[in-house]
Amino acid sequence: MTQGMDDTDALTHGRLIEAVALDRDRDAFARLFVYFAPRLKAWLIRSGAAPGAAEDFAQDAMLTVWRKADLFDAEKAAAATWIFTIARNRRLDLLRRDSREFPTPEIALTGEEIRRPDDILATVQDAQRVRNALAQLEAPQIEVLRLAFFLESPHSEIARTLDLPLGTVKSRIRNAMIKLRFILEPPQEGPR
Amino acid sequence: MTPGRNPSEERLLAYAAGVLSPPEAVVVAAHLALRPANDAWVRRLQGVGGAFLETTPPAAMSADALGRAMARIGTDAGDAPAQPPLNEMASELPEPLRRYALGPWRWVGPGMRIRDVHAPRDGNCRVILLKIDPGRPTPRHTHEGPELTLVLSGAYATETERFEVGDLEEADSTVLHQPRTVSDIPCLCVASLAGQIQLGGWLGRVMQPFVRL
Repeated sequence: MTQGMDDTDALTHGRLIEAVALDRDRDAFARLFVYFAPRLKAWLIRSGAAPGAAEDFAQDAMLTVWRKADLFDAEKAAAATWIFTIARNRRLDLLRRDSREFPTPEIALTGEEIRRPDDILATVQDAQRVRNALAQLEAPQIEVLRLAFFLESPHSEIARTLDLPLGTVKSRIRNAMIKLRFILEPPQEGPR
Repeated sequence: MTPGRNPSEERLLAYAAGVLSPPEAVVVAAHLALRPANDAWVRRLQGVGGAFLETTPPAAMSADALGRAMARIGTDAGDAPAQPPLNEMASELPEPLRRYALGPWRWVGPGMRIRDVHAPRDGNCRVILLKIDPGRPTPRHTHEGPELTLVLSGAYATETERFEVGDLEEADSTVLHQPRTVSDIPCLCVASLAGQIQLGGWLGRVMQPFVRL
C-alpha cells in the first residue's frame, strides 16, 4: 500500500466519524466498525484477553465511538488516534473498580477554532510522519513501545513479557523516545 | 526539549498510552494545559498509539458482530452524563481541574493549607490542592510513594531547584523535601500523592498525630 493510499484512508475515516457526529449516519458507522473493530479485538488479544472478551471490548469501544463522535476534531487528531484514545480510556474504565463514579477524564481533543480543510490534511500528514518515524526505529525499540501502549503495563510487566531485565526495557524505551523526538521534533526547528 | 521542568519522557509516554494512574493523569493533564509544547508532543505520542492500532493485523470477528453493533446503536439512548458544574476555584485553575468538586481547605501548618480534589483515586493515591504562603517552608517530609507536584500560581524552591507556573516536579520516597514559597503571592500547587506524607523534624513530629495529610 502506498503512502498516498494511507492518507486517503485516514481522511476517509475522519469524514466517516464526522458523518456519525453530524448526521448519526449508520452506514458511516458500519464502515468504521468493519475497519476498526477487528483491530481493537486484535489489540486486546495481544494484551492477554480471551477472544470472546476481546470481541466484547471491541463492541463496547465502538459503541463509545458512536456516542462520542461529536467530540472528534479532525484538526486535533487523526481518526485512528482518536479511536485509540477512546478505546484506551474505555479499557481503563473497565479495569478500574470505581469507574462508575469517576470515568477517565477525556483527553481534550476538541477545540473551538474554525476548522479548515488544510488543517485536517495537516493532521493526516502528521499522522503519516509519525508512521514514517516509527519505521526508522529498530525492531526491538518498536517492540517495547508497542507493549508500552498495548499492555496495561508498568515496565516490569513488559520485562516479564519479553523475558528481559527491567533496566534493559527502561533504556530501550528511553532510547526509542529520544529517537522519536529527534525525528519528529528535530533540534533545528529552533527554540520551542 | 521543552524549557522548564517537565515530566519525564516515560511519564508522558505512559500518559499517552493511558497507563498512568488516574490521579497522576489528572496532574499531567493540568500540566499539559499549561505547557502547549508538551501537549503537542503527547498528541504525537497518541498518534503512535493510533499507528499501532492501524498496523495491528485484524482479528476475525464473529459472523453476527456487525449486526449486533448496528442493533445496539439502533436502541442506544446514549450515556452522556450532565457535565459537572464549574467549581468555585475555576478561574484560578487550568481547564482539566475546573469541574472536580473540592473539599474544604484544611490548615496543615503555619501558612499552609490543603484541600482534596475529588478526582479519580487509585488505591491510596489521590489529588490535592496545596497553598503555601510567601516565605513559608513546608515541614520537612518524605513520601511513602511517588508524588507529582505542579505549580499553578506563584513559585517554590527546594534545596536545589526552583519551580515556576507550569513546572512539574516528580519526587519519590527517596527525596527529603522542604520546599519553600519564593513568590510574593501564595504558591498554589496541585499534587498527586501516593500514601501518606511522613513528616520529619520537630514540627513534623508534633503535627503528625493531629494533621491528616
